[in-house]
Amino acid sequence: MGNDDYALIRRVLAGEKDAYGLLVAHHSKSLFRVAFRITENEADADEVVQEAFLRGYRKLQDFDSRSNFGTWIYRIAMNCALDVLDKQKSQTVVPIAREYDSELPALQVADRAAGPDRLLLSREIETRRHAAMERLTPIERIAFVMRHMEERSTEEIAGALGIAPNSAKQAVFRAVQKLRQSLAPLWVRS
Amino acid sequence: MKHLTEDEMISHFYSEDLCQAEAEIHLQTCKRCAQAYEEFSQLLRSVHAPGVPRRGSEYAAQVWQSIQESLQPYRPMRKRSFFRWPQFAYAAACLLFLAGAFWAGRFWEHAHSKPSIASSEPQTKERVVLFVLDDHFDRSERLLVRLNHAGGGEDYVDFPLQAEAQQLLSDNQLYRQSAAPANDPLLNAALDHLERVLVEIANSGHELSGRDIASIQKQMNTRGLLFQIRVLRTRISEQKSNAQAARKGANI
Repeated sequence: MGNDDYALIRRVLAGEKDAYGLLVAHHSKSLFRVAFRITENEADADEVVQEAFLRGYRKLQDFDSRSNFGTWIYRIAMNCALDVLDKQKSQTVVPIAREYDSELPALQVADRAAGPDRLLLSREIETRRHAAMERLTPIERIAFVMRHMEERSTEEIAGALGIAPNSAKQAVFRAVQKLRQSLAPLWVRS
Repeated sequence: MKHLTEDEMISHFYSEDLCQAEAEIHLQTCKRCAQAYEEFSQLLRSVHAPGVPRRGSEYAAQVWQSIQESLQPYRPMRKRSFFRWPQFAYAAACLLFLAGAFWAGRFWEHAHSKPSIASSEPQTKERVVLFVLDDHFDRSERLLVRLNHAGGGEDYVDFPLQAEAQQLLSDNQLYRQSAAPANDPLLNAALDHLERVLVEIANSGHELSGRDIASIQKQMNTRGLLFQIRVLRTRISEQKSNAQAARKGANI
């Protein structure tokens, strides 16, 4: 795949624009997956994917042949996602109904066995997780998704976000702490 | 050991802690931390990635369709890279440097070659003189050798001694006049002696007989003159060798 990608890049740089379409075909689904996990919105995820491939095409001359195109375009996609989240953050007004009050836990379930209660708990966790994710800063959100859902290392997160590894680690810590604050009231010691 | 902090629990959960084994041992021995970590890891495990909507095989084509209109094709890289300004500037700078070095070399050579030519002029002249004198003495030596061998008897000598002597005489007068300022007693004496012998032979007025030649040998001491000429030729040969060696050294 790596060699194929490099051959396609050379064809694109030689003037064969349509070869880039094959690179899009190779990597668009994986980019959409991570973009959706970050934005949690189909339209935003599509926007991230398109913008990432656009930026990738324009920067293709700077692509280092020793690198992996998949990793390279993934990093670009993370930056596009960051831009989308920043834009949303500046425009979003949090609805009162979704405001979370940690002092008043909505639900406490003692028994975690399978059953209607368990389904209810899962739904509640998902609602609170989503709300908690909305409260994270864009950097924390991307760092958490990459670490927890994409299982990327701290170095990879730092590389994608263009920050120091220690900053990336701290971003993950802060994200986990915020999520814990949101979700902890749901758990009752058995 | 201190209890695990929240950050240490997070690092341990993601297997990124530096002292993983140490943390594991602590969790086995410390009930409080073990319980806290268990709750913490249960909570994190409950956080799942949201379900990603399916994207069919046509998704890549849709993405490509949406962006391809705004993409400009790249120009072939070779032409672009060859005519890029930095490379062109480097090439021009190299050419200028080479041209400068060439002209500097030429001026330097011109400036330094004049004195060497001027200084080599006397040497060249000396080498020419030596060569001409050596040739003259060589011819004279051969004439004297034949003269010495022809002495005695009444028979006339059948080789053109007089014609050759006349030819040598005119040359010898010129060389004698030229050599006079050099203040070389042996050379001057030899040329003077040779001239007298040559005058005697050239002006004899008739064909020379063996008796005439024997008389010349005796009166003019041609054997002594032959010896003088051989000494001079040896000296000239040495001078020629020295001049050649000096010339090679100058060239190096």
